[in-house]
Amino acid sequence: MSTTSVTTTASLPSSDFPEAQPLRQRRGANREGLEAGRRSTRTILWILLAVAMVLYGFPFLYLLFTSFKTPIDTIAVPPTILPREWTLENYTNALGRSGVLASFINSIQTAVISTLLSLVLAVPAAYGITRYKTPSGQVFIMAALVTRMVPPVAIGIPLASMMASVGLSDTPIALSIAHTTISLPLSIWLMCSFFESVPRDLEEAATVDGCSRLGALWRVVIPVVSGGIAVTAIFAFLASWNEFLFALLMTAIRSQTTPVVIANFQTQFGLDWGSMTALAAVYSIPVILLTLLLQRKIVAGMTLGAVKG
Amino acid sequence: MSTRNTISKLVTLGGLCTAVALVATGCGAGGPAPSSGGSGGSSSINVLVEAGGHAELTGVAEQCKKDAGIDVNFVELPYDGMFNRLSSEFSSGNVSFDVAALDSVWLPSFKDAVQPMDELFTDDVKKDIFPALVKEANVDGHFIGMPAWTNAEIILYRKDLFEDAKNKADFQAKYGYELAAPKTWKQYQDVSEFFTKDGMYGTDVKGAVETEWLAHVLQAGSPMVLDKDNNVVIDNAAHKEALDFYVSLAKDAPSGAAQVDWAAAQNLFNQGKTAMTRFWAHAYRQIPADAPVAGKVGAAAMIGGSAGVAGVPGPWYLSVPKATKNTDAAKKFVKCAYDYNDKGIESKLGLASRISAFQKYQDQPGYESFKPLIETLNGQATATRPATAKWQQIVDTVLIPLLQKAVAGGDTSALLADAKKQIQDLLK
Repeated sequence: MSTTSVTTTASLPSSDFPEAQPLRQRRGANREGLEAGRRSTRTILWILLAVAMVLYGFPFLYLLFTSFKTPIDTIAVPPTILPREWTLENYTNALGRSGVLASFINSIQTAVISTLLSLVLAVPAAYGITRYKTPSGQVFIMAALVTRMVPPVAIGIPLASMMASVGLSDTPIALSIAHTTISLPLSIWLMCSFFESVPRDLEEAATVDGCSRLGALWRVVIPVVSGGIAVTAIFAFLASWNEFLFALLMTAIRSQTTPVVIANFQTQFGLDWGSMTALAAVYSIPVILLTLLLQRKIVAGMTLGAVKG
Repeated sequence: MSTRNTISKLVTLGGLCTAVALVATGCGAGGPAPSSGGSGGSSSINVLVEAGGHAELTGVAEQCKKDAGIDVNFVELPYDGMFNRLSSEFSSGNVSFDVAALDSVWLPSFKDAVQPMDELFTDDVKKDIFPALVKEANVDGHFIGMPAWTNAEIILYRKDLFEDAKNKADFQAKYGYELAAPKTWKQYQDVSEFFTKDGMYGTDVKGAVETEWLAHVLQAGSPMVLDKDNNVVIDNAAHKEALDFYVSLAKDAPSGAAQVDWAAAQNLFNQGKTAMTRFWAHAYRQIPADAPVAGKVGAAAMIGGSAGVAGVPGPWYLSVPKATKNTDAAKKFVKCAYDYNDKGIESKLGLASRISAFQKYQDQPGYESFKPLIETLNGQATATRPATAKWQQIVDTVLIPLLQKAVAGGDTSALLADAKKQIQDLLK
């Protein structure tokens, strides 16, 4: 009833209905209250966001600031956050070290090959599992997780021996294959969830329009899950980009990647914090750029399937 | 669609870049292909080395290229991963290196995977290497590694504080003898106590590393942990005496001793928080120029106990794997490393293994740590760590936990007795 009353009075000039004035005032007050509530909620959310950002970002910021510190500043007791004296010396030392540029190229090669391999294998595998739903498919997807359950060092040493026996020792290809064993299970699982969110009707419609099964996959389904593919690619790329143990066991002169070079700043005789953090900061740039470039797709991919049902 | 196009372009570009990079770099960007050759071997060899030791061998490699025409490619690895890498390659029988720089504690573990090099250990060579190292390099009757560089703990102290007139007078008045770099346990305790004031500490106590306590065990007159017949002697009187001395310094050291390791102790000293430290000799030359203690540090030989001065050497050995196809070139490099051993002294680490190499530099400015280092390495009680493949396991699972409990106030007798049982179980 009150709804009717409000609707009626709101559509008429207030001077004709003086009794409507308090009601409008009440409505105004309610709206202001709501606005104030929204504002405070938004403020709280912003504060929480800021806190979360500081918590997540602090280690990286600390690393960044340390890379600009002088040698004695890097080991100050108690430690300081900001450099007392800013210097680029650590960057000069780190980037001037022999093998650093080569290690960057190796890291890029390895990560790109590993990401492509993961996608080429994971997309059809996930599509088959989600669309055909055979018992063997379900066993396969569970079995894919097994490699994630084994400690990497347990498969790293045999894998290194196998690569050496087929003549792939110390090559980016060997390391890429090893990295694919890490990223592939995750990629399959991720792609499965993305394919699940695509209605079958889309494919059936494409089939009615004359598409083959593969044509429907390529022309209809893949474009719909492109955000998911971007997310999967990012995860696969990161898994390879940051991987250390396999790189340590399987690379030497020709294919050593940057994480091993970064670790080399910690020696039995001391730790060169400045150079280590400088190289780590430089090494994080490509990943940050890639993430920014694909940001929209990643967000779209992460919400893909969120409204399924 | 535009994003899809971007992704497609990125993927295509990435693929093309990879393909071009792979072709252009011969499947890798790091350098030449791994060495290979027949038994005669090629003139290019790969040397596996811990990252900190790389600079030590750079000068040697240059000289070896001039003298023997051997190109040397270094494979640098972090210390923490090197043992795994060596184990992996030795066990597969397919090695990617022709020479490996091995930490002394690894020699017993890899003795069956490396070649004897007895012919390189002539009488002249043996005379010019510290006795403890000659002994350690010989495993089961064969020399399997040539010492490339060695280290030992010495005393680093704040010369400016020790030479301060007021400190000298106050110390004399309190302890009845002149303030100087300590030579005995008692002096070390006194000096540590004296300088623990005004926010400064006399020394550090390292609970997270074992070597320092083991040096005190040698000073007290006992072999470390195992005797020559591999009997566990960790509960004898010398071990107890050394542990009690070690723990007694905790009151004059920064708190949290259980977690203090080499890096922490070095930081504390370089920051001017401690007046003395027992530390590896290389640290003397690595004090940052902008450190508050730069130019104010003196060096002295390691302190002595009832058995005299003693330290635990920390040498690295060059070994040639049995699986290499470049034995000749590899052994030539090892000989170069001995012949031009002093080249390492001019590197950042600044160490050598030959007595003559240290002596050549000992009187030069900046190398004041060499005389104390030579004295410590020549110490009567100086000895290398027990030659057992289980040593690292003993250190990680028994000795360090034992020290951490001891510096935290544990009963030293009970801890040593317990450690004995644990080590006996490990060695079974």
